[in-house]
Amino acid sequence: MALNEKKFIETALLSDLRIDGRGPFDYRNVAIKFGREDGSSEVQLGQTHVMGFVTSQLVQPYRDRPNEGTLSIYTEFSPMADHSFEIGRPGVFAVELGRIVDRGLKASRAVDTESLCVVAGKWVWSIRIDLHILDNGGNLVDAANIAALVALLTFRRPDCTLGGDNDQEVIIHSPEVREPLPLIVHHLPVAITFAFIGSEGTVVIDPSNFEEAVMGGKLTATLNTNGDVCAIQKAGGDGVIQSVIMQCLRIASVKAADITNKIKKAVESYNTERALRKIKRHPDPVVDVSKGAGMRVRSLSIEMEKTRLKIEDRKVNRSDDMEIETHSSKKTGSRDPYSKGINGDELKASLASRAAATSVEKMDVLPSVKTQFTMIDKTPTEMDSTPSLQQTIEAGEQTIKVKTLMDAVKPKHRRKKKTYPNHDLS
Amino acid sequence: MDLEREGGRGANQLRPLDCSRNVLNRAHGSGSCSHGETRVLAAVYGPKAGTKKNENPEKACLEVIWKPKIGQIGKADKEFEMILKRTLQNICLLTAHPNTTTSIIIQVVHDDGSLLPCAIHAACTALVDAGIPLKYLAVAICCCLVENGRIILDPNKMEEQRMKALVHLVFPSPVQSVLPEGSKEDGIITSLSHGVMTVDDYFQCVKHGRAAVAPLSNILTKKLQSQSPSNQSVAG
Repeated sequence: MALNEKKFIETALLSDLRIDGRGPFDYRNVAIKFGREDGSSEVQLGQTHVMGFVTSQLVQPYRDRPNEGTLSIYTEFSPMADHSFEIGRPGVFAVELGRIVDRGLKASRAVDTESLCVVAGKWVWSIRIDLHILDNGGNLVDAANIAALVALLTFRRPDCTLGGDNDQEVIIHSPEVREPLPLIVHHLPVAITFAFIGSEGTVVIDPSNFEEAVMGGKLTATLNTNGDVCAIQKAGGDGVIQSVIMQCLRIASVKAADITNKIKKAVESYNTERALRKIKRHPDPVVDVSKGAGMRVRSLSIEMEKTRLKIEDRKVNRSDDMEIETHSSKKTGSRDPYSKGINGDELKASLASRAAATSVEKMDVLPSVKTQFTMIDKTPTEMDSTPSLQQTIEAGEQTIKVKTLMDAVKPKHRRKKKTYPNHDLS
Repeated sequence: MDLEREGGRGANQLRPLDCSRNVLNRAHGSGSCSHGETRVLAAVYGPKAGTKKNENPEKACLEVIWKPKIGQIGKADKEFEMILKRTLQNICLLTAHPNTTTSIIIQVVHDDGSLLPCAIHAACTALVDAGIPLKYLAVAICCCLVENGRIILDPNKMEEQRMKALVHLVFPSPVQSVLPEGSKEDGIITSLSHGVMTVDDYFQCVKHGRAAVAPLSNILTKKLQSQSPSNQSVAG
């Protein structure tokens, strides 16, 4: 960087002006987009462009943590992003970025690794996050962190059950057979980076690549909306007094709340769009074969997506299941506030399915419709609905029936069933 | 026998093709191409001074870096790099900038079949965006041989896996060629085949592929022309 460019940036900062027109504590605009598959995200922070992909694999756990899954982050500083990035082994900055994101997610226990255990000591899920830096416009850490978070929130891992002799074999179900499950994320650690420029130690948030070239030091604070500081990274550079660091943390918490809102909104819109896409796959014949059950099935699947969003980061409890039961059996014209939402969606879904009926559809969609039931929460109350619907839907269609442990469990709460005469319990 | 393809496509129907230029800020040239769901991003840096060793210093040198979506670069990716390098060496005017290296970086965003053609189109778009002198554009197509002997174009991932054999073909775009008419440069630039097929089947594939070149190159040229030229400096 030329000396006069450096002087220009520093002088402008003395009057609180940054070269891209922002104020010293203005964050750039975050744009979040999703890829075609679950668990792929594309984040744009000003001119910085990062993509994240999440994949999962069954592996053996570490010896000292036999009932926890693993989470690993791979950062690729693609030569696409900057002239100076080289291929081959990750350089110092790539490793540092990977470590900051890793600490924010793993050490703060944002992603629940115990739920990734399948057979303790033998099989656990290993989640792999690949972050590709496509364009270096400055502040890669924050952008990469957001990309990792968004990808984790939209990722769905395959459902698996234990089977075979003495329940030691793990059967992984394909997404057509059983709905894949989201990861349990307790909180969202958001990284905010500050740069210290010039001899006066002017602080700016979210440095652009020009500012990064002239800065004397950098501080990255990873916070969540609960007020926890998940990680702080200040690797060398200019010395900074404590009050400045406290000020940075205070500003960071405000920005973190802002970014968390944006992330949540984007993920929610993706999830609703995904649910609609699933509904559109269902062909018209499903509605004709079993009218009442078909509509209820669809409403349940939409409701399940909604409830899945809610139960994502808290434990499953009975009340949720009861709610699901209630909505499944009430007639579509009821006054229940939830059902109203469903009606709108149902109408849309039925209209969409009629419109889509002309295109070629797969006939073995039915198992996915049916099995959307069985999977969400592994509690026996769910089972009451399945036998009845199985009878109505299975008429005349060959289905790939996957017997699970839950099929063997008898429904326990018969008393509550009395209020729902629509269900055909046998 | 009528072939049922997903989405109701005919045997000779291609997926919607979309190209855009100048999608990245730091790269000297960038392009993104999508064939239906398959999406590839390409960036070009260059020409930089000096050639790699063992390369001819009297010509420009091309360097292709293929980045897969997940994981480290593997053998298949290295093969794609080599194919892309040789293909692009054919279409670039190498004598325009001797003793320089141009880097082309390909990033796979989503692979839903027909990945190599998509990558070639993205690379061409990025080269055009960077202003690297080209003789003509390259147009790539993937032709598959189905069990019953029929040939389909532009398969998606599911179809690719079920195919008996498939062949990737790259042709020069016939529009606005720098070279004189009737030269040898209207043949097949690249041909990469997988699976077993008879010689007749191969030539049938070539025929079908060549028939798709004209509409493809029209779409490509139109997309590249319709976008406004970038007036942004890439210094620093």
